[in-house]
Amino acid sequence: MSLRQKLLLLFSLTVAAAVAAVAWTVLLRIRKVFEQQDQEKTALLVTQFQREFQHRSTEVASEMDRLAASERLRSLARDLAETGDASPYLTEAQSLAAESQLDFLEILGPDGNIVSSAQWPARFGYPEPALNSAAGPAAFIKRDDLPDGASAVGIFAVRAIQGAPAVKLLGGRRLDRQFLADLPTPAGVEAYLYNAPESTNEVAPAFQPSLLLGVNGEVPNAAQYAGVLASAERSGQPASTLIYLTPRREDSVNATAMPLKSANGQVMAVLVVAASRRAMVEAQRHIRAIAYTVAAAGILITIAISIAIAVRVSRPIEELARAAEEVAHGNWRVRVEARGRDEVAMLARSFNHMTAELTAQQERLIQSERVAAWRELARRLAHELKNPLFPLQITVENLVRSRSLSDAEFDEVFRESTQTLGMELANLKTIIGRFSDFSRMPKPQLERIDSQAVLVRVMKLYAQPQPGPTEAAGEPKIEYKFDLNVELDNARLLIDADPEMLHRALSNLVLNAMDAMPDGGTLTLSAKALADRVEIRVADSGQGMTPEECARLFTPYYTTKQHGTGLGLAIVQSVVSDHNATIAVESQPGGGTAFVLLFPRAADEASQVS
Amino acid sequence: MLFACSLCAGVLQARTRPRYGGTIRVLVDTDPLQAPNGAALRLVFDGLTQPGIDLESDLQPALALRWVSENNSHRWQFWLRPGVVFQDGAPLTAVAVAASLNQSCRMTACPWSGVHISGQSVVFIGESPMPNLPAMLARPEFLIRELPATASSETPLPIGTGPFRVKDGTAATIRLEANEDCWQGRPFADAVEFRLAHANRDLWAELSTGKTDLIEIAPSEIRAARQRQLRVIQAPDANLLALEVNNPNLAPQLRAAIALSVDRAALQQVIFQKQADVSASLLPAALSGYSFLFPTDRDLAGALAQRGGVNPPPLTLAADAGAPMQLAAQRLALNLHDAGFTVKVVPLIPGLNVTQRADLVLRSLPVAGISPGATLEWTLHNLEINAPVAPAEPVVAFLAERDLLAQHTVVPLLFLPRAWVASSRLRDLHLEADGLPDLANASLVEGELARTSVERAP
Repeated sequence: MSLRQKLLLLFSLTVAAAVAAVAWTVLLRIRKVFEQQDQEKTALLVTQFQREFQHRSTEVASEMDRLAASERLRSLARDLAETGDASPYLTEAQSLAAESQLDFLEILGPDGNIVSSAQWPARFGYPEPALNSAAGPAAFIKRDDLPDGASAVGIFAVRAIQGAPAVKLLGGRRLDRQFLADLPTPAGVEAYLYNAPESTNEVAPAFQPSLLLGVNGEVPNAAQYAGVLASAERSGQPASTLIYLTPRREDSVNATAMPLKSANGQVMAVLVVAASRRAMVEAQRHIRAIAYTVAAAGILITIAISIAIAVRVSRPIEELARAAEEVAHGNWRVRVEARGRDEVAMLARSFNHMTAELTAQQERLIQSERVAAWRELARRLAHELKNPLFPLQITVENLVRSRSLSDAEFDEVFRESTQTLGMELANLKTIIGRFSDFSRMPKPQLERIDSQAVLVRVMKLYAQPQPGPTEAAGEPKIEYKFDLNVELDNARLLIDADPEMLHRALSNLVLNAMDAMPDGGTLTLSAKALADRVEIRVADSGQGMTPEECARLFTPYYTTKQHGTGLGLAIVQSVVSDHNATIAVESQPGGGTAFVLLFPRAADEASQVS
Repeated sequence: MLFACSLCAGVLQARTRPRYGGTIRVLVDTDPLQAPNGAALRLVFDGLTQPGIDLESDLQPALALRWVSENNSHRWQFWLRPGVVFQDGAPLTAVAVAASLNQSCRMTACPWSGVHISGQSVVFIGESPMPNLPAMLARPEFLIRELPATASSETPLPIGTGPFRVKDGTAATIRLEANEDCWQGRPFADAVEFRLAHANRDLWAELSTGKTDLIEIAPSEIRAARQRQLRVIQAPDANLLALEVNNPNLAPQLRAAIALSVDRAALQQVIFQKQADVSASLLPAALSGYSFLFPTDRDLAGALAQRGGVNPPPLTLAADAGAPMQLAAQRLALNLHDAGFTVKVVPLIPGLNVTQRADLVLRSLPVAGISPGATLEWTLHNLEINAPVAPAEPVVAFLAERDLLAQHTVVPLLFLPRAWVASSRLRDLHLEADGLPDLANASLVEGELARTSVERAP
């Protein structure tokens, strides 16, 4: 990752984190404010519902007062007291309840038994247990059984018939869907009524979703209200909670459960006020969308500014990096533009100063190396030329001193001296030729050859000669004291090389190896294929070299031999380098020496074709 | 003086003489042409026999003049009355009678296995003895009607041989007109109009405004009608209110507990306003003479003892949708609840077979008949109880009924009257033994102000 990218990422993350923190704080605050308002609204509704409930209770009590004072019921009570026959009034409670718009109405005789029942006419003659538990004129909550086996909860009141207090009226209105429909529920608020099932054996009954009714019947997702209902039922106090009807936030409600208790404190029903949070959530969502849009725009603008700043900051550093890279590649003359007075400008100026110093030092070094090279060349030339010149000087001085000798003796001296002079002059010519060859290395003429063929040619040159015509003619027999091993690969090992120069280089290596084994040994020539290269190895079993000797081995004019010029391996390295190949030496004292040449492997067109 | 006395005597005689003409308007609770309780059935149709004018009267010939039985009542031959024609003019033949009876057998089970024609007589063959066949042929289910010759997409008007013919009809109203060619003679009224009553009808308003001359009322309404000084005519013990125990998986002890837990007195005194007769027998006392031998009191302790702590399964109790029947069913459910049963009252769905019915069914069965044997046989037939034909001997009949009721598959509760409220315009009205009004012999008094009086049928 580049410096510019890092800067850009850093700026972006910093800005994004800052914007996110601000947005989160704002949204959190907004959410708290909304929820507080929502809870206040729910509490207001709950209070309103409680007032409405009290109002309904008052209505029931008033209606019961009116009925108890009516002439119709007073007459009924008188007849009942006189005759004791309740049968004519079997349907009286039904008609009275219909007229008074009461859902429950029972006329109770002096014995407390039901004379007439509107909600369960067949219960005549049965006692009404609620008569004993009802105390005072206030309305109360009661559960009443119905003929279909179900039960209903209602607001009840008990009244004695005026003029005949032994005969009583027990009536009320049902807490049902109609009751819920009459409640003043604003938009977004639902009122539900849970008809709590009667507990048996002091075991709390399980929640029954079908008993939770709304204005339109059964409440969808009724099971979600089980917790708050159970809490209200258990504690007998209002309970509130946040309920998620679905995983979506907008489908959540603030639910408040208000237990409706009977005269003896038993929870008969629970009124649930569910205020939808949809409007609040949608408002929050709207605000959040605006906040996100502003934040995104801010982040984008910030990124754009960051890019500009990063470019401005990173450009001099990048130029410095590129210049340093060029310096690393040897271009010490590179310069960077130094603008301003900041640290980067100082760095640029320092860099320019450094490269200028390096260039000057390089020139001074080249100059000194050049002088050293000339000195070394002069030393070598002096050394090489001094050896033949000294015999030439002695021979010329002998020849001058021999003029005083007899002619015969002078002739003898003259003949020997001229012979010596000729030999030394030839030696001088050879030395000069070698220097000339090193200075004039020709450019290789590359052609695709089999490297093994070159090895075979070298092997034939230095293999033990067979008896032949020259030996028969009395010439001295050349006998090598080493064994020559050649290890070749079966496949062709093609390389692009100049065969003559490669032959010359390999011959130099073989001659070095022979020189390294004055007492005999084993000379091994091998060639093998590597992945994309061809390895040619020339190894001897001589005395080997120290690491220091190996390090200086390819230095021109360095030699370990008594009569060497130090140019053989330098020439070999030059040839190898001209072929884009490499040469390395593997040696250790007493362990022999191996020269390893790695040439780029050329494609075998013949094998490709096949 | 003599002339004045003669004039007064003439006026009085004219007032007592029935007057022809007019339309009798009747408000009924059920389809007037639907057996077995249709009020117009005996006005439009006749049976081969007909009940007497009261329980003490013997069976009377109707479309059949005489009948004989052979082979220990396995074979009965009825000779048809000659000269009788249907209301469309077609003669009454043995073929038409046999076709009508065969059609009736498709609607209800018949005691005979085949009807054959022999000249102007029809012959009934039974696989078992049919000692009560003449009385059973007087029942509304076996009235003779003319079947249409060809099938038609439109429902034809029913045609019989009775004193009135169906003029037209809708879902709410059926109009009859006098049959001038009736073999019994022309009825006094020119027409009879039946209307189905709505739920909240006002008896007083209907009668006082002259909109209606005769209204069918439930037994529970009799007391209130009398208290309002309306003219009530009723046939006592016309229907048996019984609890049918259908669930075959109920143990005999549980069935006995059900029978002991019912509170007949509460039903009789409150729901039916003391207008019914408590009974634990299938036949009314006036017919059998032994019904007092069956105890009617509620024995809740006995019921609990019979149940013996067994937790009975939840039961369903079906009853007609009418208010008294539903109320009675709910009361019975409360009675059974006291005895440890859980009972749910459901509306009665007609036409279901025994296995599809509710566990308990509260039924009202017509029981009025000519003879105890025939009535009991038909009651058992209606209850779909396979029992041998009731013998004529009272002691044996009592023992047979006692054994039958001991199984507690049916629990008799009350005998209910069938009652009507009539306006003062309607005179000479009396009810048949089964509670149907004999409008053929009733007449209207024109111009007389509505005057209410209480009159009990013989």
